[in-house]
Amino acid sequence: MSTTQSSKPSNPGHAFMRALRQDHVGLSRVMREIDTQAHRLTEDPEGARAILVDAFRYLLRYHHAYHHPREDRLFAHIRARDDELEQTLQKLSHEHESGEQETERLADDLTHASSEDLAGEYGAALVNRINDYLRHTRTHMRHEETVFYSRAERVLTDEDWLAITADDGPDDPITDIRTMRASYPALARSLDDPTSHLGLNRPERSSSNELRLQVLALTDLYGGLMYEAIDLTRTNFRRLKSARGPVSLVRAAGTIYADNLRFAGQCVTRPSRWAVNTGAGLIVGWLKPYMNDQQDRTGEQFGGE
Amino acid sequence: MVSWQTRTAKLLSRLTIRQSLKRELSIADMRERIRSMERFFPSVPDDIHIENEPGLSHCDAEWLTPSSGPTERVILHLPGGAFMTRFVRAERLLLARMCRATNARGRLVFYRLAPENPYPAGLDDCMEAYQQILDLGIPPEHLIISGVSAGGCLALSVLLKARDLDLPMPAGAILMSPAADMTDESTDGSRVANAARDAVLSLERGDEIRRLYLGEHVELANHPYISPVLADYTGLPPLFFQVSGSEILLDDSHRCAERARACGVPAEVEVWDRMPHGWQALSFAPESGRAIARLADFIRERCP
Repeated sequence: MSTTQSSKPSNPGHAFMRALRQDHVGLSRVMREIDTQAHRLTEDPEGARAILVDAFRYLLRYHHAYHHPREDRLFAHIRARDDELEQTLQKLSHEHESGEQETERLADDLTHASSEDLAGEYGAALVNRINDYLRHTRTHMRHEETVFYSRAERVLTDEDWLAITADDGPDDPITDIRTMRASYPALARSLDDPTSHLGLNRPERSSSNELRLQVLALTDLYGGLMYEAIDLTRTNFRRLKSARGPVSLVRAAGTIYADNLRFAGQCVTRPSRWAVNTGAGLIVGWLKPYMNDQQDRTGEQFGGE
Repeated sequence: MVSWQTRTAKLLSRLTIRQSLKRELSIADMRERIRSMERFFPSVPDDIHIENEPGLSHCDAEWLTPSSGPTERVILHLPGGAFMTRFVRAERLLLARMCRATNARGRLVFYRLAPENPYPAGLDDCMEAYQQILDLGIPPEHLIISGVSAGGCLALSVLLKARDLDLPMPAGAILMSPAADMTDESTDGSRVANAARDAVLSLERGDEIRRLYLGEHVELANHPYISPVLADYTGLPPLFFQVSGSEILLDDSHRCAERARACGVPAEVEVWDRMPHGWQALSFAPESGRAIARLADFIRERCP
């Protein structure tokens, strides 16, 4: 085996490394999509399941079938040249294996679960497993970037690159939208959508929304009062500190008393005003459908005559 | 489900930051209060090395380097704060976390603030930082520009101005709830619909913010560098927006993204449910970690 090292990145090596990095583009995009769908799995089991199963199949058929074997070939050659990385590269190769097994398990578990299961505790446990999977995969990619991507082009020879790049597989299908639509239709549709919603997917009921707004208004109200109380306390201290002699102290105490009294009044009137307004608003909101219903019936009666 | 950490942060910001924004506080008072709130943010982790050189002509700036061994990627980050103030520790920590998640070096620019330095001082500083990165020989395809709130607006302005000056474009831009509309036309949309739901921002002093930021140039509010919602996005790199569905700034992201797409620029919008403005910086909240992981995915997609 030749030990001549390339003085600069050889062309096959450079192209190979570029292709590996390019694979991480597709992988990162799909990680993001898996994250989106995992968080809506329990709320929309059928919609999320279709996309997740497509995503895991895509990972199995491309990344685990071609991308990781390419990296493993690269690891083997780096290990032969640079024993300093032996342990790290072994760990990374092991993560490829365990990652593939977990991808298969997740795809199977998603496929075979009923909608009710996915919407319940089983689904919640599955979401946790998917989150772990995402965390591991992202950390794995980060390690690959720092540990061996930069090292590979430095330590490998032209001979190594020829051996590594021989028998290479297809390109990442994510770069071809037609292939994606044909093979992974649900995933392709989702990747095409330029807007993602993260969090609640069910629209809120208008009554609970109204109530929430009122509670927020109350929080604002008390926040405001608290803020004013802090400001008032600061001002009062300043007034007391600046008092020189008994006369100015009495005058300061008088001003403090008047301001505190005014503030106490605000503490009573503002929440009461809020309660009256909110109560009236909620009653009107509650009566509105009945009143509209009544109006419609009256309209129909007159229309009928 | 929103985590209890984020719920607590929302309540606290509603009781503090939002109240400050609703009151007639002086800029000095507001900055002082923000400094006292900042004590609650942890400092940058030990594995991030910070240095100041090379600096910028008119403002402070920092380089953040993760000790794990950075790749060629660089994130140019522009902090938020209504162009008048900023959470220094929170923004530094946010950038440090983004750098760690992507093995990137970070450039944090503390651009000059209004009202002492009204428009275009802040934008000039950001442009200088951008030009400096290019002059250092960092290839633009390894560069991502990011910004939160007012910083998001400046990030878009830098892209627009760089394009107008024929400078090379970065690989992509991350825009966290950009405040991209400084015109006074908020009679409907999220600025009205979310006025009560927004846990952090209040528009009650919107006019004053605009007046202080623009100084003598209030008539420039419609200029695309100040209100990027009105800009032509042709030639810009892919944009990635993260915004909360309950923010008053929600529509700014949607409008920018729509205009970008109309100009053939890929633009994605992530709408997060019930998050407070700038939740990415809440390092103690799980949603912040998730948001940063997704930002890192985007960075890896744009700078492989």
